[in-house]
Amino acid sequence: MFTTGFKFFFGLFAAFCAAALVYGYTTGGNHVGPLSLGWKGGVGDHIGYGVLVGLAGVSLTISLVLVSFRDADAAAQAHLQNLAEVLTDQPVTASFWPVVASFGVGAAAVGLVLHPMVFVLGLAVIVLSMVEWTMDAWADRATGDTAVNRELRNRIMAPIEIPVVGALAVGVIVLAASRILLTVSKLEAVAVAGVVSALILGGAWVYASRPGLGRRLMRILGTVGALLLLMGGVLAAVAGEREFHHPTDDTHEESGEPTGTTGHGG
Amino acid sequence: MTLTEPAIADSEAASGAGGAAAPESSDEVAAAPSILAQPFVTSDAAEVGRLFVLTSLLLAVGTSVIGVLLSLGRTEAVAPWDLFGGFNAYFRMWTLYRMSFMLLVVMPLLLGVALAVVPSQVGAGNVAFPRAALASFWSWLIGAVIIVVSVFAGGGWGAIDGVTGNESDAMALTLLGTGMVMVALLLGAVTVATTVISLRQTGMSLLYVPPFSWSMLVAAAVWLFTLPVAVANLVVIYADLRGRPAIAFGRAESPDVWLQLDWLVEQPAVYIMAVPVLGIAVEAVGATVGARSSRPEAITVIVGLFGLLAVGGWSQDYFTAPQDLRDGLVYVAFGLAAVLPLVALAGGAAELVLRGTKTLDRLLDVRMLGAGAALKLLGAAALVGALRVIEPLDLLETTATWAVFHGVVVAGLIAGVVGLRNWSHELLIGPLSVVVGRGAVALLLGGGGLLVLSDLISGFLVDAPDLMALSLDGSAVLNVLAFVGSILVAAGAAAAALGAVSALRTPVMTEGDAT
Repeated sequence: MFTTGFKFFFGLFAAFCAAALVYGYTTGGNHVGPLSLGWKGGVGDHIGYGVLVGLAGVSLTISLVLVSFRDADAAAQAHLQNLAEVLTDQPVTASFWPVVASFGVGAAAVGLVLHPMVFVLGLAVIVLSMVEWTMDAWADRATGDTAVNRELRNRIMAPIEIPVVGALAVGVIVLAASRILLTVSKLEAVAVAGVVSALILGGAWVYASRPGLGRRLMRILGTVGALLLLMGGVLAAVAGEREFHHPTDDTHEESGEPTGTTGHGG
Repeated sequence: MTLTEPAIADSEAASGAGGAAAPESSDEVAAAPSILAQPFVTSDAAEVGRLFVLTSLLLAVGTSVIGVLLSLGRTEAVAPWDLFGGFNAYFRMWTLYRMSFMLLVVMPLLLGVALAVVPSQVGAGNVAFPRAALASFWSWLIGAVIIVVSVFAGGGWGAIDGVTGNESDAMALTLLGTGMVMVALLLGAVTVATTVISLRQTGMSLLYVPPFSWSMLVAAAVWLFTLPVAVANLVVIYADLRGRPAIAFGRAESPDVWLQLDWLVEQPAVYIMAVPVLGIAVEAVGATVGARSSRPEAITVIVGLFGLLAVGGWSQDYFTAPQDLRDGLVYVAFGLAAVLPLVALAGGAAELVLRGTKTLDRLLDVRMLGAGAALKLLGAAALVGALRVIEPLDLLETTATWAVFHGVVVAGLIAGVVGLRNWSHELLIGPLSVVVGRGAVALLLGGGGLLVLSDLISGFLVDAPDLMALSLDGSAVLNVLAFVGSILVAAGAAAAALGAVSALRTPVMTEGDAT
């Protein structure tokens, strides 16, 4: 009758309500204010009380949605698929998000001491992992069929994952390539850009003209290339940018050099 | 959310005419993770358990080597602080040895055995939260790396001479790594406990779950009552270290840090490591002689009672006057009473032997020897613990504290070896070699016994409180004995680790991993 998700979120709702009541009365609430959302009496600290009541409202809404749609209800899913057997014991699929979450926690811990950026990165990884992990857990119990579950999960998450991963990949490539080009000399930068462009063009041409080339080979080449680029970018960032000449205003237009005080054209 | 038609059609095609659950399709099999990728993605708790066991055994070797060096420092062959390069460095290693044996060796070792064994014991296919189990292992490992690196970088749990340069940052990292390790162990323990509570077979009463599963349920509960107190301590210390004057309970850059945490490695909290040892010992004896207890519920009560006496969060004494707490009736009663369940359990094990088949090869089986050794050491530790709380003996702030600690941790290590031998199939390894098993048990028993004995007698000999055993007068022979004991423990740990590694075989692919 009550699905697992409903029970979890309804429990959260009850816990937040209790927390809001306790918080309200212990921070100056009076009469039945905390019980009546401030209608008759004070609720104490408005912000804390408001946050807790808000969380309770969100939990209640989610719980109602989950029970309405019979989420993770094996009997309902079996009925939907015209299955005679109610499938309740689905295997948990392999997932790398627990490991990613662990590294996120580690990064946050190290960042808390060493650098705020690392801390923020760790938090971002934790949030990302939690979302993905939640989706994996939900999809595992969506139906009794692992292939369908995977399809279902991908249909929801792929439209989010692919653009995000693509944007991150482009960002990393641009950042790493720009560090390399800014570190080597002007002439070498032109040579590096030319050679890499030629390699990409040549590789794409070979792949297009020979569809028989294995995916595995392409994956390995792509991974090696990405790692080389990343390592080059990191090494270049550590080495620092080359010295730039800072042309005066009357000469920069003729030379085509970047302007500004830093000269970091990127 | 409804399924799309093509997806249903695909799944039905794959599942055949019956329309039941689809087996693994060829696409799924193709997507199976490689052996190298498996430790990062597996949803098989047995695999996670194996990772815990192997890693903690390797860390046991490193930790016991530190123990050898610390013992060498007590022999007067070389001044302890010269051995490590200063008071602070010696203190760092001294504290690392204790924290590491507890949080990086014994607790994860027994948790690993539990993750692999408990599901099959209670009739579940897997643990309740397989992904949480994986996250538990990796969080624990990353926390362990942070601890070790930060301690060697000048961190640790406090400093005697104050800190310089970046040592404050390293100390903060040590605290955060410690918290991470504790939370990771709690996550794994909750996973095991939930498996026992929720996933056991219908009709299996909690009174009659197998002793090891029951002992892990009790251990998880005790850990949940104890470790969060330590985590709260860490938060306070961290805030102190970062200069939040509102909290400032003590000087963070001083031994005060350790003084806020030392209760964790002293009785009664130190016994939280030992609760699963009882379950392993009873099961190993029963399996060896092929007998079952006539009163399984009695074993359940005994293990539960020992767990109750191991709850240690309340014994945090930094914020109160130590004498108020440690001279109190509750502390003394806990110390004395801890002996009783161990005596009762030894009686239960003896009953099993009497009821079972008593051939020579069975009585000399690694499991039987190991179970006996673990119970003996644990009993010795509890006995010393009982002596320690008797006020006229004046043992409270002496090395007797470490006699209890050594007895418990070495008993935990031996229990790990017994678990490896008893449940090699569940742990996805080949049978542990008999020679290696017997050798490891003998070395650990000999080493642990020497450490317990020398620490206890040293405690009687010293006049003033001497926790770190730095006053070397009058106990040179005992210090040499302790040195020999620590060498034997290190050799035993190395034998166990080598035995486990050499027994490795290709992990079995599970249905879940193949997706």
